[in-house]
Amino acid sequence: MMFDATAFIAEQTEAIRKSVPGKAIIACSGGVDSTAAAVLASRALGDRLLAVYIDTGLMRKGETEDVAQTLKELSVRHQIVHAADEFFAALRGIVDPEKKRSIIGRKFIELFEREAKTFGADHLVQGTIAPDWIESGGQLRDRIKTHHNVGGLPENMKLKLVEPLRDLYKDEVRAVARALGVRVSERQPFPGPGLAVRVVGEVTPDRVALVRGASAIVEEEIQAAAGRGLMPLPWQYFAVLLPVQTVGVHGDLRVYGQTVAVRAVDSIDGMTAVYSKIPHEVLDRISIRITNEVGGINRVVYDVSNKPPATVEWE
Amino acid sequence: MRVYVVDNGGQWTHREWRVLKYLGAETKIVANDTQVSELDGLDGLVLSGGAPRVGVDPGKMGRNGEYLDSFDGPILGICAGHQFMAKHLGGDAAPAKVPEFGKSIVEVHQPDVLFEGLPNRFEVWESHNDEVTQLPRDFIALASSENCDIQAMRHRDRPLFGLQFHPEVEHTQFGADIFRNFLKLCESSK
Repeated sequence: MMFDATAFIAEQTEAIRKSVPGKAIIACSGGVDSTAAAVLASRALGDRLLAVYIDTGLMRKGETEDVAQTLKELSVRHQIVHAADEFFAALRGIVDPEKKRSIIGRKFIELFEREAKTFGADHLVQGTIAPDWIESGGQLRDRIKTHHNVGGLPENMKLKLVEPLRDLYKDEVRAVARALGVRVSERQPFPGPGLAVRVVGEVTPDRVALVRGASAIVEEEIQAAAGRGLMPLPWQYFAVLLPVQTVGVHGDLRVYGQTVAVRAVDSIDGMTAVYSKIPHEVLDRISIRITNEVGGINRVVYDVSNKPPATVEWE
Repeated sequence: MRVYVVDNGGQWTHREWRVLKYLGAETKIVANDTQVSELDGLDGLVLSGGAPRVGVDPGKMGRNGEYLDSFDGPILGICAGHQFMAKHLGGDAAPAKVPEFGKSIVEVHQPDVLFEGLPNRFEVWESHNDEVTQLPRDFIALASSENCDIQAMRHRDRPLFGLQFHPEVEHTQFGADIFRNFLKLCESSK
């Protein structure tokens, strides 16, 4: 017996309709999970659903425009909230990864509650999937990391939570997304806290801009290489900005610059992963482009750890 | 066929549930303090891995001991479930000299119905700090890895099996086959 996406969609549309008598908002990041959940909920609720996308300032290059376009194409009623300043202010001086995650989770809920009030909604739909609540821990289970959509929820939250995808893994969500005609069905996972967890150390607009630039290059080069048949497209591929400065030489001058780690892994469900065996010529191009095009970075390293013992993200 | 997963708090408990579900079993994740009487009539049990360290905080293993003593169908203990099985039945588990995380190779040196149809050497995924250091009476070791002598064990007569590695994760080779073999056992001991 394999997963039956069509049956799942019919079942969950009905379940959402039953559990939401009034209006609901859905937290939508534009990724596979939340977009699939948005389309599901929109099928069930029509105009009684509002998809809320928050531009945290921690998004990848071109992401906000892209998400707005996707939601428009899918005819999902939506609202884009610009909140970069609020997020950067809340993260000032914070270096602990778990603190970053919980601050961002709380901020998300605060903004969602605000939007829900304006819209008159009493339910919050989320695209939480199995690894989110598994890794967030609770009772016997150890906390590996707080997923923003689980760990940020206050005990006295006024909105009632609806999570239609909570027993699914990514491969199953992709099947659901394909069946729903969601264009982003094959998009690589992107963490809820965004680039904040790809900047090891303090999160500032400048450091986020560095990792954003480096990540865009990693994505372009790996997608191009996969397109040319040099390698399969990994499960995830991105850059991480490290809190390490090292010595370099630029045009006969000493520099003391930033270090970026390139991370790429192969996985089916995110619960175990192996690092991708990227051809050296591709790594070479990534390295040359990052150190030449993203000012301030003079060293690029490649992460060769599996999960376990490491995790996919660095924080 | 009804085979439930006893949740000892592992990161991969839900994966065990998913593999069983995909193989067509009627399955459910249950807390490890569930009364034995509520598990009456099931065809098999999987004791999941977990955050608790069996040697350090056995109290967190709930009623796993009662299941081992009185459940009469096949039981498959995985990681902490395997270690607890050894300790509870008179063997021992302790911190491993070399803990294993991630990729490893197991060698099956004792053919068994659990590994039917599998090669003698295959790649598995590990995640453990402790290991079985002494087999309980009437148990035999089935497989080992470079850093861990008892990667798999079974009781000579009763359908009790323990695995140190994780057959439920995608990167373990033949993991679904091991579960399929376990389900066959559950079917035949009905």
